Amino acid sequence: MKSSIYQSLAIKTLSFFLIWLLLSQSFDLLHMGMGILAAFGVAWFNTDRTASGLTIPRLRIVWYFPWLVGRIIQSGFHLSVLILHPALPIDPKWILHRTKLRTDAGIVLLGNSITLTPGTITVEVDSQNLLVHAMDDKSADDVTSFRIEQQIAGLFGEKGME
Amino acid sequence: MSWVALGLILVGLFFLFVAAVGVLRLPDVFTRSHAVSLTDSLGAFFVLGGLALYQGFSTNLFKILIVLVLLLLLNPVISHATVRAAFRCGLKPWSKEDA
Repeated sequence: MKSSIYQSLAIKTLSFFLIWLLLSQSFDLLHMGMGILAAFGVAWFNTDRTASGLTIPRLRIVWYFPWLVGRIIQSGFHLSVLILHPALPIDPKWILHRTKLRTDAGIVLLGNSITLTPGTITVEVDSQNLLVHAMDDKSADDVTSFRIEQQIAGLFGEKGME
Repeated sequence: MSWVALGLILVGLFFLFVAAVGVLRLPDVFTRSHAVSLTDSLGAFFVLGGLALYQGFSTNLFKILIVLVLLLLLNPVISHATVRAAFRCGLKPWSKEDA
């Protein structure tokens, strides 16, 4: 999706202004005027003029988050059991995960999702390899089985994959 | 409705408690940061969810949602930064053989 910088500037200004309205909740001319100025200023300074517009993944991203929350709750319970277990049956290990995702946004989303899931943390990332620290084999399963990655690959379409 | 909200907040408090126990019980930085990330992802998630439900439909609901989204974006960054710093300093992670 290619859009001019003016387009992305307008989108950013509008969304910042909405957040301003939400947080200030005063609708007189002075406050709204200051809001639109501030929103435009922040958007102006934060628009990358070399990039070819915003690359927003499809609207399917809305479905990704409920799924991720489900995974988070499941592994959260698993981690709670591990912590509260009298014998503390943890078995921490490193996983070197080679991702098939190609887009930066996809890899960022993958790393964040892995860290957000209790029991796994992304430690180092280079272009394709993620070093993940996991609490035990069951926690690591979400990463090693490519389950999260397949969901993200679906979001970014086929071109994200090898 | 307020009972459901109370339930959600109690579940959140349970996870916060577990995370605190985890920070005390677990052996090293790496495993402890797993426990800490439990606080933000599940503890804060359930507590804020309960508050949002209790609040009902109002502008405060959107403020709570903004806090929730910010937590979901910032929490992974912070735990990643902590663990990477420990890793780069050459800290040896605890493993089963050390027990």
